Amino acid sequence: MSETFGVDSLITDTADRLFSQICDHESVQNAELNGEATEIWNAFAETGFPWISIDEKFGGSGGTLLDALEVLRLVGYHAAPIPAAETGVLGGWLLASSGQQLPEGVVTVLPSGSEDLLVTRNGDHLTLTGRGLRVPWARAAEIIVVPIQVEEQTFAATVDPDDCQITPMTNMAGEPRDTVDFNQVEAFAAPLPSDVNLQTFRFRGALSRTALMAGAIEKMSQLTVSYTNDRVQFGRPVAKFQAVQQHLVWGAQDAALARMAAETAGREANRGDGAFEIASAKLIANQAAARATKACHQAHGAMGMTQEYPLHHLSRRLWSWRKEYGGDAEWGSWLGRVAVSQGADGLYPLITGGSAALT
Amino acid sequence: MRFTPTELTEEELDLQQQVRGFLLEELPPGSHEPCLGMAARKDKDFSLKMADRGWVGMALPKEWGGSDRTAVDRFIVVEEMLRWGAPVGHHWVADRQTGNVILKFGTQEQRERFLPAICRGELGFSIGMSEPDSGSDLASVSTKAEETTGGWIINGTKIWTSGAHENDWFVCLLRTSPMEDGNKHAGLSQLLIDLKSPGLEISPIPFLDGSHHFNEVTFNEVFVPETNVLGDPGMGWHQNTTEMAYERGGPDRWLSPFSTVEQLLREAKGTELEATVADLFGELVARWWGIRNLSLSVARLIDTGEAPSVESSLVKEMGTRFEQEVIEKLVHLIDLEYSPESESLFERLLAQCVVTFPGNTIRGGTIEILRSVASKGLKGLPA
Repeated sequence: MSETFGVDSLITDTADRLFSQICDHESVQNAELNGEATEIWNAFAETGFPWISIDEKFGGSGGTLLDALEVLRLVGYHAAPIPAAETGVLGGWLLASSGQQLPEGVVTVLPSGSEDLLVTRNGDHLTLTGRGLRVPWARAAEIIVVPIQVEEQTFAATVDPDDCQITPMTNMAGEPRDTVDFNQVEAFAAPLPSDVNLQTFRFRGALSRTALMAGAIEKMSQLTVSYTNDRVQFGRPVAKFQAVQQHLVWGAQDAALARMAAETAGREANRGDGAFEIASAKLIANQAAARATKACHQAHGAMGMTQEYPLHHLSRRLWSWRKEYGGDAEWGSWLGRVAVSQGADGLYPLITGGSAALT
Repeated sequence: MRFTPTELTEEELDLQQQVRGFLLEELPPGSHEPCLGMAARKDKDFSLKMADRGWVGMALPKEWGGSDRTAVDRFIVVEEMLRWGAPVGHHWVADRQTGNVILKFGTQEQRERFLPAICRGELGFSIGMSEPDSGSDLASVSTKAEETTGGWIINGTKIWTSGAHENDWFVCLLRTSPMEDGNKHAGLSQLLIDLKSPGLEISPIPFLDGSHHFNEVTFNEVFVPETNVLGDPGMGWHQNTTEMAYERGGPDRWLSPFSTVEQLLREAKGTELEATVADLFGELVARWWGIRNLSLSVARLIDTGEAPSVESSLVKEMGTRFEQEVIEKLVHLIDLEYSPESESLFERLLAQCVVTFPGNTIRGGTIEILRSVASKGLKGLPA
């Protein structure tokens, strides 16, 4: 692993080594078949990595958002089947921002917030009724965090999963994305500061997926370079054929583009805003995922279409993550409104200055 | 391969503001027909004004008339010029590559003779690579230079030479000793040739839209003094490869359609078209932001003394395809029948892009050649 901008290389090296040991092809495959990966999670949790960027006084491990995103990039790179984003930069962030202590185990978050729920308020308690869809690893969570807006105030509501009915479901990669039914469930609700709201939560979710995707695309590109240099047809490695080189180059470009976008967006988010960069990075990662999965699958031929070969752990995650926390249309349209509102003279200053040009 | 995120320093942002201020004064929007990237009009007066500010040959050392600025500083000036559609054609080649190559491989006498004049914005250079039988297979060039008393005699033909009819000098890749079996890269040399030399004939090869960029340059017993050999005879291939690295990965490989896109927004503002273009603009600003960050990180890498040839090939391959994609998206979205004579500036520019942009993925090394260069440098899984 090469050095990552603004991140302690010890984090990169340690996380990379850990995942190399605990996330091989077989263990990732087993996690999908069994619907859980307790051993992988326990090894991950033992290092304190899930809680990086969360203040120690709330039970976190300290460190910066950039450090946490670097761990997520490696989670994506190794296709680690664990709720790292939900426990840390999403759920943990909502809990700590509202002054709540983190539990010791898995935290998950309702990705859509409370938009599908009926909420009634009773002092610092809320009663929730309705259905939350595609909730990551709800089956394994100690707490489900629901970001809720009631009038002008946003709350981090916490729900005990035992009070809900959880139906195991999966995304296209076989990762747990459960259906959670709330039937008059009591939730404790703590108010969030004004800069933590449903919109900033949406951006934060997109940022987490962008980091995961950057890692997965990079691994996929490397896997494809290795495979095509090993695979011999017509008497030479297929990587020597110009038609195959096209796929290798396109995969490598998208890996570079997605990682650059994710790291730059992380840098700006770590400074406190980065809306333009995050929106751009998620859109870039979405499109890079589409192009790179196509190129890498084509270069692998039939081998890439089998379960026994690890390409699908990456490509199916990318197809799923592309749609999580905002697909192409959502971010394209948000960015388009921003771009058009800058007017012709403001267009290039927006490209060079990013969020800073908007204030 | 690693693209490390970077950003502009306070001083660099200052430079960006200076360049924007200069352009606003010299070429206020609406006062000029924007050029489409590096295929820009030649306007020697404009080049001289830029040179006055130290923005031509700016990365060259002060002792040779340059400003000792960085590759990133040059990146900033170039990107602002190109996005503005400024007429940078006169000094373009000298500023991007010839100055660097003369500094790196030239003799003391050549540096004295050419570099200060390049930095003053005076000299225009052409590049002599392609021949009737040598395109992508550049090492097969057969235009010959034969040694004679005090210099070389040249015979042969170069084609698709941009700007030879307007420029002063020609950096030419020539065969100075016969092709050896199995090593076609040996025996090539670069010569600096005065385009006014006796026996050198320049005739236009009209561009597909009828305009005059390309030329055929024929050499009929053209004498070139030995002091005009650039670098060591026989090292031409290596020098030429180095030169190409300067050519790749910069803003000229991804900004060509920008003026067209900007003009669309200018003309669509407040009309029904505004809502239609909004989603497209979202995607375009994201892609430009992403590619620019990659391209900027290549410039930063050059400033640390590295020669990021794989990275710059990847950026050029991607950037030039992106340029074509931008135009295709506009064509798809805009239901107009545009032509080079349309009343609307946007339509005129779009028509020009449609007709000339197929060349973007060809010039300076086709994307197929770039893929072959880049793929050799790609790394697989860590061992």
